Formats: sequence, structure tokens, C-alpha cells
Amino acid sequence: MNPSNLHSISDQITMPEQEALLTAAKITMRFGGLTAVRDFNLALHKGEIVALIGPNGAGKTTVFNMITGVYKPSEGKIYFMNQDITGVRPDLITKSGIARTFQNIRLFKGLSVLDNVLIANHLHLESGFIQATMKLPGYRKEEKAFREKSLALLERVDLIGSCNDKAGALPYGMQRKLEIARALATNPKILLLDEPAAGMNPREANDLTSFIYQIKAEFDLTILMIEHHMDLVMDISERIYVLDYGITIACGTPSQIQNNQKVIEAYLGVDN
Amino acid sequence: MNTRNKILTAISILALSLFVFYADRHFDIYVVRILNVCAIYTILGLSMNLVNGFTGLFSLGHAGFMAVGAYTTALLTMPVDVKQQIFYMEPLIKPLNAMVLPFPAALFLGGVLAALTGYLIGAPALRLKGDYLAIATLGFGEIIRVIFTNTQNITNGALGLKGIPAITNLWWSFGTAAFTLLVLASIVNSSFGKAMKAIREDEIAAESMGIDLFKHKILSFITGAFFAGIGGGLLANLLGTIDPKMFNFIFTFNILLIIVLGGMGSFTGTIISAFIITIANEVLRFLDESINLGFIVFQGKVGLRAVVFSALLMVVVLFYRNGLMGTNEFSWDRVLDKNFWLKPWLKLRRIPLRKGGNGK
Repeated sequence: MNPSNLHSISDQITMPEQEALLTAAKITMRFGGLTAVRDFNLALHKGEIVALIGPNGAGKTTVFNMITGVYKPSEGKIYFMNQDITGVRPDLITKSGIARTFQNIRLFKGLSVLDNVLIANHLHLESGFIQATMKLPGYRKEEKAFREKSLALLERVDLIGSCNDKAGALPYGMQRKLEIARALATNPKILLLDEPAAGMNPREANDLTSFIYQIKAEFDLTILMIEHHMDLVMDISERIYVLDYGITIACGTPSQIQNNQKVIEAYLGVDN
Repeated sequence: MNTRNKILTAISILALSLFVFYADRHFDIYVVRILNVCAIYTILGLSMNLVNGFTGLFSLGHAGFMAVGAYTTALLTMPVDVKQQIFYMEPLIKPLNAMVLPFPAALFLGGVLAALTGYLIGAPALRLKGDYLAIATLGFGEIIRVIFTNTQNITNGALGLKGIPAITNLWWSFGTAAFTLLVLASIVNSSFGKAMKAIREDEIAAESMGIDLFKHKILSFITGAFFAGIGGGLLANLLGTIDPKMFNFIFTFNILLIIVLGGMGSFTGTIISAFIITIANEVLRFLDESINLGFIVFQGKVGLRAVVFSALLMVVVLFYRNGLMGTNEFSWDRVLDKNFWLKPWLKLRRIPLRKGGNGK
């Protein structure tokens, strides 16, 4: 890919009037000699559902890891609500309002479903360690509020029936849902979903689509997701970014992407 | 907790108090001493379990924290004339040589100093994970011991401290053990404890759920060190003499054996196995002596007891990794459930357990 192509891509990114909630400016991630992501630009506006697609190994999860602070970008800056969050610790980024799920589900498997959600509330705790140990009234009040909030959330995602089961014992689809519920418990403004429909059949993926719509409306979310189910992606997302070998090869509405020659080549290969 | 459980708990506490009251007056001195050691090992095991079992930090510096607590408490409770007597190589440094505090204050200060040491060691070491953390903490623990061997004018070096007043009795040891359990259980069940367990389960997920890894790890580490220091202080005032060699890494492994056998992440298991290990340690004493079977005499080898424990540890690790209790805790509901007691028997007879049977 030559540099002139890159320019044409950044020209394609049309900025709406409204200011972006999350902006990534030319973020690059290098692992030794390998450039996993190069000059990635992203503008996420409030209330949007944006998808990040691309073949395996394109660097999609690396983008997530940079946004959530797991990796510090080698170059470039990330802004969230006009604050520079480049290289900030993951827990502080979550605190500021960006929550995520993982491609390979990372629940606290040995703990109960309720505990999984309660733990996600911990970042809101205002009482200190000593107050919590002595179970002072202030702490008890907070704990009770967390519990009620978590139970309501589990009720909302239909997991209330198994709230005392170990998270690792849940069936796969429910584990995915629990992971989303856990992320929601941190009160995020932006939710990053890493392949939420992985391993689901078309009917389950369909259910997931409506589920995502519902939580987006209910929790006033902005969603960025990585997904391979094209039906779901085309159905749900307002804009799509396409990555291939770490380079943004296209960006636009679902119909634009479907007809983009480069995207078709990346997915289907090119006929020489 | 319902009323029945509250009553049962109250009865148990009363029964334990009566037992301590009776034991304190009527048991012979040897048995009382073993019971004291049991309770102290319980304190040490509980505190180490918080760090290793609940927070998932493989830390092996426990003997070092105990040493800090033991020396602090001992130095602060020893009478002035005893101090003058035993520090004949080099005199004890200024404020300490004339300072004598009441036992509770000395014990608390021992815990605080151990916690402080825990912070100083934890701050750099907790950046490491897994085996590396184990090696680093093991090293730090040994460093504490070596420092204590060489600070002649504070710790009396390799000569150790003698004539420490024997204040620790059953009330002190069992009372402190109960207090430790109360505090640690309260931590583990709080939001902070849940965050610690989350770190044990999956560090990356915990961090992305907004949990400050370092803060929670060091909180757990400091709390563990505090109670290790208190345990060390009780031990010093039970034994009457301490020297740096006592607090070598073998001591840490004894505690590790207790928590692995009892179950990493179960306080109930730790308490049970602290008693089992301590009592077995006494019962198996015959292995260290010559055994005369009448027709043949086995020559005793000192340290043969340790072989039994090593073998036991291997069996647990190989075949029974969860230990006695796994991550389960004692609860009245479980114990009073008929199926709880029938289960092993039903399993043996291959009778399927009725689903949802509450034994009613």
C-alpha cells in the first residue's frame, strides 16, 4: 500500500458536525519489527454503532487494546471526551467510561454470576478499605445499592435465575451475555464489544442484534464492535472501518463497504 | 444469617470460650503449649491464605514478616535488666534499651512494623507475577533474616533473644486467632475482597473492570504481613527465646503446607489443617527417635517427620489439588444439610443424589 492511498482513506472519513466522543489520531502499534496497526484513525460519535471488521490478524483487537490501555500506542494519540487517554492505565480508562468485553470470554469463572457483576461495581465504591473492613454504615449502604443494581441488571439480561451459579458453569451464550452485563455495570459511555457473536448460530446472532439495540437505547451507549458475522455487521452498524494487515483500507456506511473493491479483494483475494 | 445460625454461632463461641477456660486451668503444660502453637499457626495460615489463596499472589516472604513482628514484640516486652544481661556483645541501642510496653501495644506495633516491611517489599516485588513474585518474596524474606543476624545492637545477632516474658496464653492465642479470622473474613466478603478474588481469577479482566491491580495487591499483602507480624509476636512471647535462624524459609513452607492442605482460598480449611499439621508434628515425634520393635531396632533420624509432610504435600498437589476444602467455607446450612454427610456414602454406593434435596 503506497502513501497516496492512505491519504485518500483519511479523506474518506467524513466528520459530522458534532464533536467526536472518542478519537484516535494516527495510532500505530509496533511489536518489535511487526507493525500490527499503522496510522489508524477513528472518530466515534455519541450514540453511534460502529463496526471494525477485517480478516484474521488484521489488528482489530490490537486497536481495542490500545483504546482500553492494555497497550500503549507506539505512535499517535487517543482522545476520549477531549481528554488525552493515550497510555493511561486500563483501570483508569474503564473508570472514565470505556468498558469492553473480550474475544475469548474472560469471566471470573470461579466466582458466582452475581459476584462477577458486583466486582464491576467496585470502581464506584467511595468507602475506603478500613471502612469496608469494619462494615461501617456508609459502606453498607453502598454495598446494598451495588447489590440492588447488580440484581436489576441481571434481571434485565435474563440471568437472574442463575445468579448464584459459578460463572464458568454457564452455557456459552449466557457467558457472553454475562460479560456484556459485567461491562455495563461499570456505567460506560462507550462499550467495546470484541466479537460478541463469535460461536453463535444465525438465530442467536439475530437475538444478539436486538439485544445490542436494546441495551444501547437503555444505557445510552455508544458502541464500537469487532465482528465477523457480516449479516449482523451490515444490519446493525452505522459506519464500518475495515482493517487489513494493520492498515485501514476502507471506511464508510455498510452499503459503501459492500461495494468497495479493496474490501472485496481483502476478503476474497485478488484474481491475478 | 438466620436466627438458627446466629444461635448456633453463639453457642459455638461460648463452647470454645469454655474449652479455653477449662484447658487453661486443667490441661498439662505440654498440651497447652501445642494448643497455643495451633492457634498461632492458624493466624499465620489465615494471613498467608489472604495473599496466596484469595488474591492469587504466590508470596513466600511470610517468615520474614513474622520475624519483624516477633523481634519487635519481644524487644518491647522484655524487662530492662534482661536486655542488659543478654546484650553482652554490643549494648542495645538507645530508646529500645529502656523501653517496655504493655503486651497488647507491643503486639500491635509488631504488626504495624511487619505491615510497613510488607509495603517496602511489596511495592517493588508486586510488579512481578507468578513464579517471579515467589522468588522475589522468598529472597526478601531471607534478606530480613540476614539483616537480623547482622544488626547486633538491635537484634543481638545470631545469639538471639532470651528471657522474653511468657505472656502468650490460650486466651491471647485463641482470642487473636478469632480476631484475625473475623477481620480477614470481613475483608474477603467485602467489595475489596471480591476485587482481590477477581485479580486471582483473571488479572486482565479485573483490570479492565476498573480494579486498580497494584492497590488491591498491596492492600492484601500489607494486611497479610500485619497479621503475620502479630502471629510472630505471639510466638516470641510463647517460646521465650527467638533467633534469626528460626525464621528461615522452612518456616514459610510449613505455613504454605497448611494452606495448600486446607485449600487455597478457604479459611475453614486453613484452620482445620493448622490444627492437623501442628498436632501431627507432635504425634510423629517418634519417627525422629529410635524405634524398638523387639526384634529389630530402627535408628532414628532427626527430621524424618519432615519426610511425612513432604510426601503429604506431594500427594495433595498430585491427586487432591483443591486441598481439604477447596474454596468452600464452613456454613451451618451446609453442615446441617443431611445430604452433606450422606454424599460420600451415596457416592460409594452409587446412589444418585436427589436433586434439590434439602434434607427436609
